[in-house]
Amino acid sequence: MSTQTLEPAPESTSSSARRRLSARATSSDRFIYFLAAPVLFVLLLFVVVPMGQTMLASVDGGAADNYASFLDGASGEALLLSVGTSLASVLSCGLVGTVLAILLARFDFPGRRVLEVVAVLPMALPPLIGAVSFVLLYSETGIVPRALAEWFGLSPADTAVTGVAGVLLVHTFTMYPFFYLSVSAGLAGLDPSLEAAAANLGAGRARVWRTVILPMLTPALVSGALLTFMISMASFTAPQLYNVPTLTMQIVSTRTSGNEGLAAAQATVLSLVSIVFLVSMRWYQGRRVHRSLSKGSQLDRTVTRGPARIAALVGSALLTVVLMAPILVIVLVSLSVDASWTTQVLPERYTFDNFTGIFTDPGSLLPISVSVQMSLLATGVAIVIGAIAAWVVARWKRLGGTVLDIMVMLPWALPGTVIGVNLITAFNEPQPGNLGLTLVGTLWILPAAYFVRYVPLIFRSTGAALDQISPSLEEAARNLGAGPVRVLRTVTFPLVARGVLAGALLAFIDGVGEYVASVVIYPAGLAPMSVEIYNRIYSSQFGSAAAYGTLQIVLILVVLIVSNRLKAGRRDSSGAALTAAPAS
Amino acid sequence: MTIYASRPKNIADRVVARFEAANPQYKGKVKMLTMGAQEVLERVRAEAGRPQADIWWGGTSQQFEQGVAAGLLAPMPSAAARRVPLAYHGRNDLWLGEMRMAQVIFYNRDMLTPEQAPKDWDDLVTPAFRDKVLIRDVAASGTMRSAFSAMVDRSFARTGSPEQGYEWLRALDANTKEYVPNPSDLYLRVQRREAPVSVWNLQDILVQQKKGAPFTPVIPASGAPILIDGVGKVKGGPNGAAADAFVDFLFQEPIQQELAETSFQIPTLRLSREPAWLTAIGLKEMPVDWATVNQREHEWITYWSEHIKGHRR
Repeated sequence: MSTQTLEPAPESTSSSARRRLSARATSSDRFIYFLAAPVLFVLLLFVVVPMGQTMLASVDGGAADNYASFLDGASGEALLLSVGTSLASVLSCGLVGTVLAILLARFDFPGRRVLEVVAVLPMALPPLIGAVSFVLLYSETGIVPRALAEWFGLSPADTAVTGVAGVLLVHTFTMYPFFYLSVSAGLAGLDPSLEAAAANLGAGRARVWRTVILPMLTPALVSGALLTFMISMASFTAPQLYNVPTLTMQIVSTRTSGNEGLAAAQATVLSLVSIVFLVSMRWYQGRRVHRSLSKGSQLDRTVTRGPARIAALVGSALLTVVLMAPILVIVLVSLSVDASWTTQVLPERYTFDNFTGIFTDPGSLLPISVSVQMSLLATGVAIVIGAIAAWVVARWKRLGGTVLDIMVMLPWALPGTVIGVNLITAFNEPQPGNLGLTLVGTLWILPAAYFVRYVPLIFRSTGAALDQISPSLEEAARNLGAGPVRVLRTVTFPLVARGVLAGALLAFIDGVGEYVASVVIYPAGLAPMSVEIYNRIYSSQFGSAAAYGTLQIVLILVVLIVSNRLKAGRRDSSGAALTAAPAS
Repeated sequence: MTIYASRPKNIADRVVARFEAANPQYKGKVKMLTMGAQEVLERVRAEAGRPQADIWWGGTSQQFEQGVAAGLLAPMPSAAARRVPLAYHGRNDLWLGEMRMAQVIFYNRDMLTPEQAPKDWDDLVTPAFRDKVLIRDVAASGTMRSAFSAMVDRSFARTGSPEQGYEWLRALDANTKEYVPNPSDLYLRVQRREAPVSVWNLQDILVQQKKGAPFTPVIPASGAPILIDGVGKVKGGPNGAAADAFVDFLFQEPIQQELAETSFQIPTLRLSREPAWLTAIGLKEMPVDWATVNQREHEWITYWSEHIKGHRR
C-alpha cells in the first residue's frame, strides 16, 4: 500500500509547497474556470436570478417597513425560534446519525444487515402522510400514549409529544440520514492503517478516535450539520403539524394576508441566516483540514460476542422498530377502513380496497410515473452540475469558491414554496433574465425545481468526499503526465464516487416525495405523487392517501436495495478503490 | 380549459362531468387542479405573465378581492351575473359568490350529549369547555380568518372598538386545547376524541357526517356568520370562451339544486325549492358587517396571532 500521511492543518502546508502550486496555478486555474463556467451559468439562470427577484420584491413598497418587523419582535421571535430548533436538530441528528454510522461501519452484530437498509428508510417517509403518521403515533390519541395508558395507566396527556419537542422528534427522525450517509461515506474513505499506526505508537482507543478518526470525519460532520441546519430552517410541515410559529410559518401566513413584500423580506432573512451559517462552517472546516494521502479501504468490523451480542441483537431490533414505526403506521392506515380507527390502540377493521382502488383506476398510476421520471431526470442533471461544482469549490481556494458554494446551497435554505414561486416568476414569460425560456405550464418546470432543490445534496456529499482527498494525489497524476480530464476520470472520480452516489440517492428519494414546491408549479393533468396524496388527504380519503404513501415507500425501498446490491456487487468483482464502502 | 379549484375533488369532479355531458364539445378537454384557495391565489398571481388557468373556483371574498387588487381577474359573463343576487357580486363583477358558507359549532356526539354540547358562541368561552376545543389554525385559513373576524366585529359594531372581541378570543384561546394545521387533521383529531368541540363550516361537517364521522353541527342561538365562497375568471386565460360556458353552466339552477341536495351546499342563487336538510336545520344568520371585516381583518388577525394565540397560561 502507498505511504499514508495524515496531512495536518493548512498552515503547515508549507510555503514552499504553496509556491510550487502557484507556479502551476495558471494551467490548473484555467481548467477550473473552464469547468466553472457552465456551472455558474446554470446556477445563475435557475438559482440566482430567481432569488434576486425575490430580494427585489422585499424592498418593494418600503424596505424599511418590511425589515423593521424583525426589530419590533414579531418576525424576530420567529427567527430566534427557527434558529434554536435548527441548532437543536443539528445536535440530535448528529448524535443519532453518527452513532448509527459508526455502529454499522465498525461493528458486526446480529441484525446489522437489516439495520443498514432500515437506517436510510426514514428518508422515504412521504412528507404529508408522514406528518399524519407522527400524529397517529405520538399525539395524545396516538398509538404510543394510548398503549402506555393501557399498559401502565399513564395519562396520555403526559406522554404525548407536542410543540417544539414534536418538531425536534420529526426533524430527528427524518433528517439524521444526512449525518448517517455522510459519516458512513467518510468512514469508508478512512485508511485503517492510520489507526493502526496511532495504536502502535501507544494511543488508546479513545485517543485514536479523538485525534485521528474524528478529525478526519470533520468534512462529513460539517456537511451533515450544514444540510440539517439549512433544511430545518426551511422546514414547514413539522412546525405546522405541531403549531410552532417558526419563520417559515410566518412566511406562509404573511403571504396568506397578501403582504408579499414582507413575505419576501422574511424569505430573504431566512436565506441570509443560512448563508451566515454556511460561511462560518466553511471557515471552521478550513481551519481544520485533515486529509489522507491514500485511498480508503475497509477495516474489519469488530465482532460482538457473549452478552454484548445479545445486547446488540435486542438493541438493533428495538432501533429497527422505532425507525420503522412511522412507516408501519402508514401501511396500517392504508389497510384500515376510513374513519373506523377512533379510540382503539390499533385499528380493528382491515381492507384491501384502498389498494384495489389505485390499481383498478388506470389514471391513478400516472402520478407515480410522473414523480419517478421527473426525479430521475433532475437527479441526472444534478449529478453533473453538483459534482463539478463540488470539485471546483474544493480546488478554487479563493473568494470564487465561497461564492459558488453559496450559490449552490441557497435553494436548500429556502422553503419549497418560495422556490416554486421564484421559478414561476422567473420563467413565466420570455425575458432577458431567463434567456427567453418559458417553463410555466410545461412538464420541464418540475425537474427544474427538483434540480434546484436537491443539487445541494449531491454537491455537499461530493464535497465532503473531496475534502478528505489531498490535492497532491491529483498533482502526482499530473506530474506523471496525465491531462486534467484524465486525472478527474482516473483519480478523483473513483475516490469520490461513493459521495456522489450517496447524494444522488438522497436527491432521487427526496424528488419522488417533493410536495411543497411541486404544488405551486405542477402542470395541469400531470400531478406528481405527493400532490395526489395531498388531494386525497384534502378529501379526507386517508386510506387511499396512505396506500399511495405505501407504494412510494415500496418504490424507494426497492431503489435502496438495488443500490446496495450494486455497490456490493462492484466491490466483490473488482475490489477497486471505487467502492471502499462498508455498506453491503 | 383548466380549472384551479379549492373545492373537494369529488364534488368538483361531478360538476365537471355534468358540464361535459351538457357541452359535448368540451368532452375530455377540462383539466382540474385541486389545491387550497390560498395556493390558487398564489399560483394565479405567479402565473400572471403567462396565465395557465381559465377558472378560479373556490375561495373567500378576501382572497378574491386580493385577486382583484392584483388585476388577476376578468369580468364574469353577464348572463351568469344577472342570475346572482347583487349582494354576492364581487367588485366590478370580477367574481361572483357561488355559495354561502355558514360557520357553526360542531361536536363529537360520542363524547358529549346534546345537553352537554355548547348552544351558542358564548358557551365556548365558559370554563366548562376548558381544553375541550380544537381550532383549525387561523392565520393560514381564509375561512377561519373570516370567522374570527366576525366574532371581533360583534364588539366593533357595538362599541367601535375591537377590545371586547379580543377579550372573547382570549377566553377562547384559554379553552383551546390545540390549533391544528388543516381541516383533514381537524376531522381526524375530533374523531379520535382528542377534544369534543370545534368550529367549522356547515357543509364540510355534514359531508363528514354523511361519510360516517360522529359529528353533530350546532347552529348557534345568536346565529352563524355566513361567508361567501366564489368563482372567478382568470384574466388572459387561454380558453376564455370555454370559461364563459362553464361559468354559465355553474350558475344555472339545476346544477345548484343538485349541489344543494347532495353536497349540502347553500347556493347564492334563489332556488325554487329549498333542500330538506336546510329547512330542517333551521339556519339563522348572524348579522356581520362584511365591509368592515374585509377592511379590518388583517389588523385583527395579526393582533390575534401576536397577542392572543397561545398566551393563555
